[in-house]
Amino acid sequence: MDKIAKKKIKAIEEKPITPKKQSKVRKVRSLQKQKSRMGWFFIAPFLIGFFLIYLPMIYESLKFSFNEIKILTGGGFELNFVGWENYNYALFQDAEFILILGRSILDLALNIPAIVIFSLFMAVLLNQKMKGRAIFRAIFFIPVIVSTGIIESIDLQNSLAKVQESIADMSSGGMDTTNMGNEIISKMDVQVFFSGMKVGQELVTYVQDLVNNVYSIINKSGVQMLIFLAGLQSISPAIYESCHIDGASSWETFWKITFPMISPMILVNTVYTVIDSFTSKSNEVMTYIEKIYDSPANGDVHATAMSWIYFLVVILLLAIIGGILSAYVFYQKRDA
Amino acid sequence: MDMTASNKKKEKELKKIQQREEAIKRIKAQEKLPFWTLMKYKFLTLYFAKKLLWIIFRLVLLIGISYVILFPYVSKISGSFMSPQDFVDTSVKLISKYPTLDTYKAIINDNQYYKALFNTTVLSGLCAVSQMLTCAIIGYGFSKFKFRFKGILFVLVILTMIIPHDTLQLSLFMKFRFFDIWGIVMGVQKLFGASATGIGNLLNSYWPLAILSLTGLAFKNGLFIYIMRQYFNGVPDELEEAAYVDGAGVLKTFVRIILPMSVPMLVTVFMFSFSWQWSDTFYTNLFFTDTKTFLLLPNIVSIPSSLDTQFAAKMIPYEEAIRNTCGLLILAPIVLIYLFAQRTLIEGVERSGITG
Repeated sequence: MDKIAKKKIKAIEEKPITPKKQSKVRKVRSLQKQKSRMGWFFIAPFLIGFFLIYLPMIYESLKFSFNEIKILTGGGFELNFVGWENYNYALFQDAEFILILGRSILDLALNIPAIVIFSLFMAVLLNQKMKGRAIFRAIFFIPVIVSTGIIESIDLQNSLAKVQESIADMSSGGMDTTNMGNEIISKMDVQVFFSGMKVGQELVTYVQDLVNNVYSIINKSGVQMLIFLAGLQSISPAIYESCHIDGASSWETFWKITFPMISPMILVNTVYTVIDSFTSKSNEVMTYIEKIYDSPANGDVHATAMSWIYFLVVILLLAIIGGILSAYVFYQKRDA
Repeated sequence: MDMTASNKKKEKELKKIQQREEAIKRIKAQEKLPFWTLMKYKFLTLYFAKKLLWIIFRLVLLIGISYVILFPYVSKISGSFMSPQDFVDTSVKLISKYPTLDTYKAIINDNQYYKALFNTTVLSGLCAVSQMLTCAIIGYGFSKFKFRFKGILFVLVILTMIIPHDTLQLSLFMKFRFFDIWGIVMGVQKLFGASATGIGNLLNSYWPLAILSLTGLAFKNGLFIYIMRQYFNGVPDELEEAAYVDGAGVLKTFVRIILPMSVPMLVTVFMFSFSWQWSDTFYTNLFFTDTKTFLLLPNIVSIPSSLDTQFAAKMIPYEEAIRNTCGLLILAPIVLIYLFAQRTLIEGVERSGITG
């Protein structure tokens, strides 16, 4: 259709309607407009914050990563543009960064399925009716409230002290007899357990890592459990009832009903887990970046460049995971 | 043919089940049947065995995981009552032989626990209340109103959740060290020949966190906005329409009707932001560089001077126990609050209707 015809149609559509009708239309529109204006009013705090504080911060952070920084003695700071120098440093000159990045992404890839599956399983368990459910729920959500920065940093300090001690005791061959740390089973126990089975040292360390990982997995899956629990609650009991009447076993019900219905939450939780674990203090890359940040020789801009590289890698990871998972996610049609 | 056959089979099975249930009913009603036949019908069935097995399995699993969650705290609590002699004695595992409260006393007195507690309570309370209200308002705006660019703006909210503040560490610091909005104030100062310092140094004050909280940019506020939006999506529009008809404006509806009915959700957000702010080390280290004037709870983790004798200095386990006690003292108040609020919190999460 050519432009003239389009214009004609538009002109016909916009032809003046009878005055009575027009006023009616305008009234409705003004109410809608008023409502939309109130909408802007409600999200105003976010808009102000985002455009006045957040966006400049992102811009500055990107700018810093391309610069050298010098804090002047009189207050204020000076920037010298150095191009890709900081990124170059992070990628090619710094010996450890790439290694640590690779290792932590591998860890992430192993931990994510474990956390998501575990939290789904626990949410299903905690959703069932039983005695003492309230108590178990209260216990299971303690990590959400409690385990954040402070305990992790104390554990870090403790393990640091331990390492120092073990270095000091290397010659005298001391052994820690009062192991009060977080390790559920010590290496000694596992070795005693496996000594009769004639298996290699690698398996012993693997089992120990696995069991000690259970602690971190449980601690990291609190919010995910809450999200799954909320999702499970939103599934209508009528569906389960009809399944029961049709003679489906609970195993079938889980895979045919619960799993598809909860699949959007699996996507949400996977994304949340990735974000959570790569921003947590116990993350190796984050601790390394923190260390670089505190180092005196222009460490802060190097750290900024590193964290942008890390961020891009994680965004890539998120895009891949999101792409794969969203192909399988089932959305129940809600009231559109 | 197959379909009908299987249907018939199922019908038969159903009939069997019904018959058995009727039998059980009859047995119950008569009550004069021998005890053992009754027991046989009740407990010697495959269904019951399966159920029992599942219950036992579930209980063992739940108790085991609860143990994993609680044990570190148990060991920390037991360690906090120990005196130095206990760490020398190898026979002491969890229960102290020479129990003492010295560790607690020393931390509370030497590390200025009460001062830090007060500061942190004020800071966390302010942050949590402002974050709760801000996120509720923003979530309501995204949920109940139609306006242009809404989708794009919500993606921006998600973006603030995804970009970790650690990435922005340096610019966060710089932002509040030389606080300014788009360099306007600095530009004006330059124009008049004054030294360009911006609005000024906001570090070591409540301002940085207050600004971040009030604009919904603080720690995990994207998640809170998301939760609140999902919750308000589940609130029926009819409720608001009824309020409009009765003559309440949008604001009045929000304050008088929506906020009171979403208390469980608000408690959830409050608990999250309060406790996360309470034990946070990232922002407090970044914004409160001067710990002498502004002592916060995470800063009290150190060996108290009265316990730091020649004897104790060499004992790593004892030092560990002291640090763990610091951690316990820091966490004790929020655990107490959690015990009171947990029922409302879990209720709020259950009702949130978070989907997709």
